[in-house]
Amino acid sequence: MSTPDSDSNSNNTQAITGTVPEREPGQLGRLSAIYGRKLITVLIFVTVGFLIGPVLITFVASFFQNWTGILPSGGFTVQNWAQALGVGAESIGAQRGLGGFWTFVAPDILFILQLPGIADITVSFPFDIRIPTPIPVALGFSVLLALLGVVINLLVGVPIAYAVTRYDFPGRRLMNTFAVLPIVPGIILGIAFLKTYPGLPSVIALVLGYSLLKIPYMVLAVQSSFESMDLRSMEESARSLGASWTTTFLRVIIPGAKQGIISGSIICWTLAAAEFNFSYVVYSSGPRPFSLFLFENISNNPFLRAAAAISIYFVIVAAVTALLNYVGENGFSVGGVR
Amino acid sequence: MAEQVTIDNITKQFDETVAVDTVSLTVEPGETIGLVGPSGCGKTTTLRTVAGFETPNAGRVLFDGEEVTHVPPEQRNVGLVFQSYALFNNMTVQENVEFGLKMRDMPKEQRSERAAELLTLLDIGEMGNRDPTTLSGGQQQRVGLARALAIEPRVLLLDEPMTGLDAKLKTRLQQEIGSLLDEIDVTSLYVTHDQSEAMVMCDRIAVMNDGHIEQVGTPAEIYEAPANNFVADFVGTSNRLDATIRNGTLDLGHATVTAPANAPNGSVTVVARPEAFTLDEGPIEATIEDRFYLGEHVRMTARTPDGHELTLRFDPTHAPESRHVTLSLDPDRVHILRN
Repeated sequence: MSTPDSDSNSNNTQAITGTVPEREPGQLGRLSAIYGRKLITVLIFVTVGFLIGPVLITFVASFFQNWTGILPSGGFTVQNWAQALGVGAESIGAQRGLGGFWTFVAPDILFILQLPGIADITVSFPFDIRIPTPIPVALGFSVLLALLGVVINLLVGVPIAYAVTRYDFPGRRLMNTFAVLPIVPGIILGIAFLKTYPGLPSVIALVLGYSLLKIPYMVLAVQSSFESMDLRSMEESARSLGASWTTTFLRVIIPGAKQGIISGSIICWTLAAAEFNFSYVVYSSGPRPFSLFLFENISNNPFLRAAAAISIYFVIVAAVTALLNYVGENGFSVGGVR
Repeated sequence: MAEQVTIDNITKQFDETVAVDTVSLTVEPGETIGLVGPSGCGKTTTLRTVAGFETPNAGRVLFDGEEVTHVPPEQRNVGLVFQSYALFNNMTVQENVEFGLKMRDMPKEQRSERAAELLTLLDIGEMGNRDPTTLSGGQQQRVGLARALAIEPRVLLLDEPMTGLDAKLKTRLQQEIGSLLDEIDVTSLYVTHDQSEAMVMCDRIAVMNDGHIEQVGTPAEIYEAPANNFVADFVGTSNRLDATIRNGTLDLGHATVTAPANAPNGSVTVVARPEAFTLDEGPIEATIEDRFYLGEHVRMTARTPDGHELTLRFDPTHAPESRHVTLSLDPDRVHILRN
């Protein structure tokens, strides 16, 4: 017979033949066993240092008068920051050079209602208000715009993340895929916005665009939190203990996904604040978005002024991150049992 | 006061599948009934129907005679304990236990006092301020039980509460919680696939299979007098042998032994637990094929001359050394199933 079984024992206990060679760790294996961990530690420090170094030097340099070599020189000054922020007497001229005051312009057209054959109404703002807005105020407004985008992201993203994690429904996979897919680049979405809603004020367009572009990051972050919870059992526990579905959702399910919500908000805010392509295309009037502030300070300006603008950006990002983290860590217990 | 829970002819269908098919069961006040059976037998669906998370297609659920079939879960006042513990990860242990009381608007001081009492009762009194995710599995399940008991539930429902725990801890927790359920006055329904766990924890056991209840009885009744082949097979280890009873003798084919008293003539199935066989000069011949030393006893697989497999167990000091053995069967320890 030629079956593989037949060439061993005639007994019914089948012997397994052949020997397995011992595993020989190669030279590389031996080296990695000895030095691997140290090497990785060094690599991490070098990489982090390499990335953080320029940021730190830029920040420090923004307070100096010269930055020609590797290290800044020439003594401490707040001049660069003052210019970037548009405060102090001599900076105003520089701002004019940039194209005048940062102004809050009330939109001429508030909204257009067009129903073919029925109505064609255009409501315009009756006054032309141009209020010179100081740059710090404009920056603060821009921070709020991005935050408003985060609020919309939360209102839309958290329920989507919950639904795709908790329930099985037709089209669940499709919804999941679309929710986490950054479908269009900012520049395309910007042009599409301009074409579709020509009269939309910049402020509204920016908020809507930010929330649309950044929603995948919110869904992904919150979904990972939901997936680590046994949602169904937690809900059923809460309900058996006397909580309605709404109470359960607000006091148990959402606070349970706290970590994902905090990290999702921070990611979405940071990305919205840094979104240049969309802002550049859509922005027409009103306080300049954050990313355009950076752009204008970087192009056609002394290097140290750009450094100051970037440093301002870092400070604001750090502050908002800390704020979101604080609100997240402490805000949820308000509705809880505490 | 503990209440009586009545499941009255409930049927639950999911699409084409009938998960529970006209099941009736009454849990007496203060009693713990175990729902056991293989996975997919309908035990969890039955429990969820009592909790209010499933509405039966037919039949009623009654608490102390009051119909609750359509009462939403948050108004039923049932305590639920899950295999996954399902503790609220945004709250401390103490807050978890207080949650149900908070929903009942109990004043802060009273509820923290009650929560502390329950945590002490469950032997985790010092863990109130801990984050539940830092607790071990056994401790988390104690929190889950304290949380369910805090609301003085009309019925306590436990869904495989020990399944995720390791064997040693499981044994300890079974004894502890078993006696706790005896002491406190609460009616409980305990779902498990592990019949030995149900025997430790429960006053009575309902064996379920394929949407039906096969038998309800005390652990001893279920073990000693299984109602049918399924129960005999599911609960404990059993040898089932085809036999014929003729005037007080039991003809096994290869051997004839004394029949149990009052057994009527005819063709039957004999259910004999491993411990019903004793090693002596008896009429049953067998060849030992495998032996497993398990410490407390030795389990052996033997084969009769006509090819039936028998599972036997012996005290390690009296375990036979030889390959061929003769056995006798204790007529008082066999159970006869009519064919």
